[in-house]
Amino acid sequence: MTARTEAEVVTDTSRLRAMLSSAGLQLLNYALILLLALGVGALAIAASGKDPVAAYQALLRGAFGSVRALANTLDRSTVMILAGLAAVLAFSTSVRNLGIEGQLYMGAFIAAWVGFGIDGLPSLLHIVLAFVASAIAGAAWGLVPILLRTRWDVDEIVTSLMFNYIATFFTAYLVAFPFKSDTTILPGTDPINATAKLPRFIRGSPLSVGFPMALVLVVVVYWFLFRTKQGYELRMVGMNPRFAAYAGLPVKRSALLGMLLSGAMAGVGGASLILGFFGRFITQFSLGYGWDGIVISLLAKNNPIAVIPAAIFYAGLANGSLEMQSATQVPTMLVSTVKGVIMFIVTAQVFLRHLARRSPR
Amino acid sequence: MSIVDTLGRLITVELLSSSLRMTTPVLYATLGGIFSSEAGVLNVGLEGLMIIGAFFGVVGSVALGSAWGGLLVAILACLILSLAFAAVHLEWGADEMIVGLALNIFGYGLTTYLLVVMYDVSGYYSSEAIAGFQPLHIPGVEKLPLIGSILGGQFALVYLGFLAVFATWFVLYRTPWGFWLRSAGESPEAAETVGINLKLMKYSGVLIGGILCAVGGAFLSLAHLNLFSEEMTAGRGFLALAAVNFGDRKPLKCLAASLIFGFADALAIRLQRFGLPSQLVLMLPYIATVVVLTLSAIQRLAAQRARMSVRG
Repeated sequence: MTARTEAEVVTDTSRLRAMLSSAGLQLLNYALILLLALGVGALAIAASGKDPVAAYQALLRGAFGSVRALANTLDRSTVMILAGLAAVLAFSTSVRNLGIEGQLYMGAFIAAWVGFGIDGLPSLLHIVLAFVASAIAGAAWGLVPILLRTRWDVDEIVTSLMFNYIATFFTAYLVAFPFKSDTTILPGTDPINATAKLPRFIRGSPLSVGFPMALVLVVVVYWFLFRTKQGYELRMVGMNPRFAAYAGLPVKRSALLGMLLSGAMAGVGGASLILGFFGRFITQFSLGYGWDGIVISLLAKNNPIAVIPAAIFYAGLANGSLEMQSATQVPTMLVSTVKGVIMFIVTAQVFLRHLARRSPR
Repeated sequence: MSIVDTLGRLITVELLSSSLRMTTPVLYATLGGIFSSEAGVLNVGLEGLMIIGAFFGVVGSVALGSAWGGLLVAILACLILSLAFAAVHLEWGADEMIVGLALNIFGYGLTTYLLVVMYDVSGYYSSEAIAGFQPLHIPGVEKLPLIGSILGGQFALVYLGFLAVFATWFVLYRTPWGFWLRSAGESPEAAETVGINLKLMKYSGVLIGGILCAVGGAFLSLAHLNLFSEEMTAGRGFLALAAVNFGDRKPLKCLAASLIFGFADALAIRLQRFGLPSQLVLMLPYIATVVVLTLSAIQRLAAQRARMSVRG
């Protein structure tokens, strides 16, 4: 009898631990990952003869140190949130879309084209039109890879990757020849009309309505994936395609829909940068935001809501690194190294396992 | 001017010779991809390994004063990174695709960072101090009619690359070790029951893959141009991934795919001299990849159907 109560006590405590572990361990896990990544970064800084503490202080200051810094970080996070959502839409369904970067490029270019090509529209209509066009362009860029997969079983990992390169070269061609502009030194299009520019909030910061729009889209994607039948279907197919096929779910249609939604979101992300920040399409505007999106969805464990803090964190790293470079001469590229380390360990769950092992089963 | 004339001016000995050179880096990475995917590990990080190989090839070449020394340093760097890849995936259960992408991001980040820290330049680094590979002149080869000027005067690593295809075939299909490696990838459960050390096989597949990517990367930076530029791999690691996919991991078929990509690469460079917009012709290798993958998938499906109808 005493043995039984003991067993009960054990199950009780383990249940409690399980509850705590879901939230607490996760947070601890993230904190340790961040610590390790920053530790590796600190080693790299120290090895180059600079002071890691001063560098990280400058990084923090540049990211969140003032109202303007915060506003700029939120602005930078806009495209990252959208790219993160694009990745969530692909990876929580059954699509391995590694072509987000290319879809971003196509969306951005079309947004610029609509932005400078159409005159005399009311601002709201012009902006909406540009976003819709960019969503279509992004989705269209994902269409070929996904059709090749559903029709002939061509692995979309490789084809969607190839479409990144095709998109960057194709848009580079467009701005070098048919859309060549004399108004810019960098290869780029003409500037967009004032009616297509996203309204800004704060003097001296590019933070625009793009950011709240991205937040709204987060809620929409969450609602779609977790509160609609269609979204549920997509996630089921994503979890176990073979089982979903046995259960009679439309596997191919789900893959198609997942890719189109993901591509459309990526296109909107590209447009947000053009309409909100650059004011025209320029080549190499993206700096790999499509890849950031994949990492952000990973950090967020494919939860649309968690994409927001993950994207803001990533944007903070990017913006803070500029201040770090100008204040302490530690090159901004350090941040890419840190990002790589974060990604290396984030799916490994090294700490999580270790922490879980120490608690009795 | 007739089409034959145009083709004649386009497809020259020089084009074919540079095709062989452009094939080489992709080929090494492809062979690397074969070893790792035969062991059952899909390595999306070939691209990142190549850029690390290209950079540390230059580092080693400058430090040791020889291209072969550079190659050695490149191999060491890629071995360390592949070991990290394998450990994170095999010991801690990280998703192989994600770790592969991490390799790419890390490789790009680390090389651009070190470029600034070590050489105080950004974008690219070229210097007299970089010792490059020298073309090899095998007596007699260059005297052969026609093929002499295509095959002759290439870098040693070009010849070794083609030998490596046969070595890969031999190791995988004619040695017990190759059999163990393939069974670890194809039927892990069966392999384990007959006492094959799965983990060891997977580790070796990934590490050999890393070595070969290092050779491909170092070839990029130390043969022909002697410089490092942060975008110099230009997706060749991904092309290699496509070549492995197309060739179904069979060394000879994968060689064919690498040759197609190498030819497309060389053709793109040549077409630029004909006044075609460089941005358009540079799309060639990537479009070729999509087309080639699609055709091979259609062929595979047709073969499957034929087999089914025979059985039925």
